[in-house]
Amino acid sequence: MNKKLSLSEKIINEIKNGQFKMKSKMYFVLRTVLFSLITLFTALFVIFFISFIIFILKTSGVWFLPSFGFGKIGILFTSLPWLLILTALILIIVLELLVKKFSFAYRRPILYSILAILFFVVLGNFIVFKTPMHDDLFLRAQKGKLPIAGDFYRDFGAPNFSQVHNGIVFEIVDNGFDLETFRGEILNVVIDSKTNFSSDGDIRKNDRVLVLGERKNEVIEAVDIRKIDSRAHPRKFMHWNKK
Amino acid sequence: MPKLKSELTDEEIAEMIQKGNSKFFESLIKRYEAKMTRYARKFLSNYHDIEDLVQNIFIKVYVNIKSFDTSRKFSPWIYRIAHNEFINAIKKKGKEPLPLFDLDIIFPHSASKERVENEIDKKEMRKILNKCLKKINSKYREPLVLRYFEELNYQEIADVLKIPVSTVGIRLKRGKEKMKLFCDKINYYE
Repeated sequence: MNKKLSLSEKIINEIKNGQFKMKSKMYFVLRTVLFSLITLFTALFVIFFISFIIFILKTSGVWFLPSFGFGKIGILFTSLPWLLILTALILIIVLELLVKKFSFAYRRPILYSILAILFFVVLGNFIVFKTPMHDDLFLRAQKGKLPIAGDFYRDFGAPNFSQVHNGIVFEIVDNGFDLETFRGEILNVVIDSKTNFSSDGDIRKNDRVLVLGERKNEVIEAVDIRKIDSRAHPRKFMHWNKK
Repeated sequence: MPKLKSELTDEEIAEMIQKGNSKFFESLIKRYEAKMTRYARKFLSNYHDIEDLVQNIFIKVYVNIKSFDTSRKFSPWIYRIAHNEFINAIKKKGKEPLPLFDLDIIFPHSASKERVENEIDKKEMRKILNKCLKKINSKYREPLVLRYFEELNYQEIADVLKIPVSTVGIRLKRGKEKMKLFCDKINYYE
């Protein structure tokens, strides 16, 4: 009659028969390094992606819409790049899930790690906007010298900016003025009695302006016009049409 | 003088196995077999294949032993492997629902600091748990088992379940309240 093997005997026999092999230390070291790198690159990508959203909001002028007051909240809502914002939120959730694998994060409530991630993102964005990174990438994309992200920079991920137009007064004309946009287009801004001017002073050539109004082909029927502080624009874009 | 096997700590035994002395694995199994079986029986009350699950735990311990950091305590590490094994068993069998997301882990809880309990309190709690444990949700059942049967502290339980330390405290507190409620219903205290 066969004696029933104890659990330890069974397992030791299976190990001796080579049914199970111990994984090497190197396997775990590489796995930890790879995971840490994935987390780090995800964190850097989150900073890049959110700074890109802020950049396109600033460049398109949507960033300045709140200064027009609550009346323009509808335009702000329809002009926001929701797909990009949703993607950024998903990226933050992915980063949180990755960070939660580390003991310093899972031992504390999720609120703390989310706040730490947000602080990291804000700090990262502060540093990014101290550099001309997005301006350079944008200009390279305009010149067709940015192979992968070029379309993204040129089209801004295709958000709806049909009612907000940011640019420089190119020429004063009879019915208003011509506006050179960040995409290098020349659009005719039509001013009539219904057009509201949200800032003081006349519109002059080379003024930075934000125009609200529906675009039909190359013509914008201006509803509201505001001069924008030129320091609030991306540096290189400010001098772009003067080159 | 070299130490006897029985004098070695779990961490020292794990280090010997990492260095290739597989014969030490037997003593590790002997030390933890009863604990793992008890943990499985308490956590998975309606399962019949507990012996297979415990065997899988030890196989995983052997395969992954080199990922164990010998400067840390061994018991939370092996209980973590066991926890994953049991959760997979629950998912496979689908016998009870597992919470996808729990609000307890989002916010800090002030009334959740680790309390020092005397042996009499613990003994009494174990008696109550033996009677009513099956009645409560796995979310509360598991920390109670790890605390009162396996005698892990809050941080070790947090490492096993990968949840915040304060959440361990709040789950133990709520778990005990729920247990009292169920035990009252079956007149345990009478």
